[in-house]
Amino acid sequence: MLIPRRVKHRKQHHPGRSGMAKGGTTIAFGDYGIQALEPAYVTNRQIESARIAMTRYIKRGGKVWINIYPDRPLTKKPAETRMGSGKGSPEWWIANVKPGRVMFELSGVPEDVAREALRLAMHKLPMKCRFVRREGGDF
Amino acid sequence: MSDVTKLVAEQRTQFGKGAARKIRRDHKIPAVMYGHGTAPVHIALPGHETMLALKHTNALLTLVIDGEEHLALAKDVQRDPIKPVIEHVDLVVVRKGEKVTVEVSVHLEGDAAPETVVTTVMGTVELEVEATDIPENVTHSIEGAQVGTQVLASDLQLPAGATLVTDPEALVVNVTQQVTAEELEADLEEAEGEAGIEREESGEEAAAGAATDGEGAAEAKDSDQS
Repeated sequence: MLIPRRVKHRKQHHPGRSGMAKGGTTIAFGDYGIQALEPAYVTNRQIESARIAMTRYIKRGGKVWINIYPDRPLTKKPAETRMGSGKGSPEWWIANVKPGRVMFELSGVPEDVAREALRLAMHKLPMKCRFVRREGGDF
Repeated sequence: MSDVTKLVAEQRTQFGKGAARKIRRDHKIPAVMYGHGTAPVHIALPGHETMLALKHTNALLTLVIDGEEHLALAKDVQRDPIKPVIEHVDLVVVRKGEKVTVEVSVHLEGDAAPETVVTTVMGTVELEVEATDIPENVTHSIEGAQVGTQVLASDLQLPAGATLVTDPEALVVNVTQQVTAEELEADLEEAEGEAGIEREESGEEAAAGAATDGEGAAEAKDSDQS
């Protein structure tokens, strides 16, 4: 799973969720992709789960790119703990995804296969998404 | 390519985000036109016609501003990342017969050899072409391409009159070997184990598994009998 090797601060504030994606809104590497339509925190488990779902569907043909990285820690206090006594311990690693961001890309498979593979992957993600194709290319 | 689209544009007198938003509310697109040492001209383009014209990359437009015609090339198009809306267009003035540097997409034809993965490393190449004769794409055949085939920018068949600006040694297409089924399965199982994902076998896989078990059992029975 994707986890940063070293971070400057183990416990951070929650990343801001407002606004649209500033970059990475178009397909850069592959032919097809998944674009986020809502803001969300995507955990490293969700990213891995989506990758496994699409790789299992496309089998050996094709190539997958992951354009997001879970570089922000989220903390959690243990259950039934009184408030105070400092911040909880890191529990999740998340990527802060804003609307418009192309999160996964795929190439080397026909469009119908790519659509189904990416549809399966979308079910593993915590926000509304859509299928996108490369602009001005072969399509 | 190069079907020149004629658009009637209005010159803008008010600037800033408030004025730009007002233009967009009227189904128009704010744009700026510059080049050849002329002062930038701020214009408003008709929304729907511009959107149709900019469906092609490197669209060449004839703009009619105050009755005067200008030939311009779309240099940069700002789009909303979610909605199908064009927010702003940068146009560069060109002259007939003038050479311009544009990015043209690479189009692959044919099927590579079995058990290979074709990766387009560079989706576009930079070409120097006549402004009025910009190709839609550069086509290259990968029919029967074997593992290890590498298509460099210099290998591309360019349209007549086009000069390559991109580094000729730049890798455009790479053909690699597919991973084996065993490697893929091992990788996915390891990833699933690490992530704690429990997979339910689909009906097809279960049937395949049962068939192999059945064969195994039959072989065992035969060997017992012998």
